[in-house]
Amino acid sequence: MRRRALFLPAALLAALASVAPVAPTVPACAAAGSNHAALVVEHGDGSVVTRCVAFAADAISGEELLNVSGVAWSSQTFGGFGDAVCALDTEPAHYVDCPGKDRYWAVFVARGGGAWQLASVGISTLMLHGGDAAGFRYVPASGVPDAPVSPVGVCAAAPAQTPRQSVAASAATANAATASTATAPPIALRTPVAANPTSAAAAATAALALSPVTDSIVAATAPPGPRVPAPSPSGDPDPGLLLAAGVGGGLAGLAVLRFLSGRRSRR
Amino acid sequence: MQESLAPRGGTLAPRAWVVWSLAAVTVALVSDNPVYRGLVALVALNVLLVSLPPGRRLGTLGVTVLVAAALAALINVLASHTGANALVRLPAGLPLVGGPLTLESLAFGGALGLGLVAALLAVAPLALVLEPHDVVDAMPASLERTGVAVATSLNLVSGFGRTFTEVRDAQRMRGWKPGGLRSWNEVLVPTVLTAIEDSVRLAEAMEARAFGAGRRTSYAAPSFRRLDAVVVVAALSAAALFVGLRLAGAPMDWYPYPTLSLPPVHPLLVVGCLGLALPAVVGRPE
Repeated sequence: MRRRALFLPAALLAALASVAPVAPTVPACAAAGSNHAALVVEHGDGSVVTRCVAFAADAISGEELLNVSGVAWSSQTFGGFGDAVCALDTEPAHYVDCPGKDRYWAVFVARGGGAWQLASVGISTLMLHGGDAAGFRYVPASGVPDAPVSPVGVCAAAPAQTPRQSVAASAATANAATASTATAPPIALRTPVAANPTSAAAAATAALALSPVTDSIVAATAPPGPRVPAPSPSGDPDPGLLLAAGVGGGLAGLAVLRFLSGRRSRR
Repeated sequence: MQESLAPRGGTLAPRAWVVWSLAAVTVALVSDNPVYRGLVALVALNVLLVSLPPGRRLGTLGVTVLVAAALAALINVLASHTGANALVRLPAGLPLVGGPLTLESLAFGGALGLGLVAALLAVAPLALVLEPHDVVDAMPASLERTGVAVATSLNLVSGFGRTFTEVRDAQRMRGWKPGGLRSWNEVLVPTVLTAIEDSVRLAEAMEARAFGAGRRTSYAAPSFRRLDAVVVVAALSAAALFVGLRLAGAPMDWYPYPTLSLPPVHPLLVVGCLGLALPAVVGRPE
């Protein structure tokens, strides 16, 4: 909470101070950080919003990625799971249930340029490193959600597009951020959402009204998070899960053997 | 003068068992990841099977934990209708349970049940391996009287059940038949009166044995050996690892909504769970 309280004014300050056109040949956010993470948002109608976020730290959380991207969003906390996205970039404009009963925002992650994988943790717990991508797709509540469009090229193509905005999210590095722009679209920063769904929806609506829908590069310095291997719900087997399966199988086998030998000795 | 005897709780001292149980419960409940909970349950089951004294059975405990886990899963499936994969759809008009019953809510209910199983198996050695007075003796001096009070209260719960059965059987022999709510007065009133009498009798007996006059003494002081220390250190390390990573914000939890996915597992935490298995390796002396 304290981190968020520090983060928002810093991001606002940096956003106001550092909006400028970006040189087409050099990644716009290079000065703010050497790592880049892509953000892909695919709406229910198929329209796609992409962002490339640069950060100096080793890793950035999904929450920070969204905050810095300028795409308005709101969330609800689900205990240790973290935050679930309730509304993103004006979709849905209003909501009561989170996640929605008919449609919801499915969260995906692509590691190091790999394929999309469904994230099994909330965006506040999801950690992204350089080359990773976070994807959001507004999908029906029933059935397995389809992945959003590929993040390939989001961070490579973005510098060639204009106009752009660059947001540096650290007060310490605000002056060091190099980007600025002549045409500054309105920037939507995330409004903290209360636990009350009604006020949450109202806050979400207020924030979403400011949202721009343009491709852009944004930059941030994010605090490093704990490096824990990311879960892989599909695709390559998680080594931790394999180890746990082996250990669990061994323990179960031992328990059965001990139970049987105990019964035999009682006879 | 006190004698030092071999520990009564298998090869481990009662205090080592208490610390082990607390650490195992912490590991089981610090995250809602079913993988870690399942590992703790399996470790605790192995420890119990190795350490169970002759003449004691796991049957009642097994039935209790299975019923508790099944109930947790069932309640979650019926009450939570979130999830992408619907197994069955109940008519929406049914209060509370109406709507889709989903695979995700079944999985989450299963994880909740697994947490119950792991926690119950983790504290089971305190009841099945140790004697009640061992547990009281294992408490720190400042908690000794609280421990006695809690143990006595828990004892009264089972005593209340026993009295209820006796009074009900006695009333039936006198021609009583269960009818409406009022008819149960004839069973409940004598049961409550008997429970109060039992409590007064227990208090007088404890006072006659000088309860509260000073520190509880015992003939034999249970020794705390190097083996106990190793078990305690391993158990506390496992608990500290889980709590530390939780505080550091590492993704330990599992949340199957809205679409079922495999839980995240960290190899280090799997090794941490194995640290709790040391009492099973130590074994029980013949």
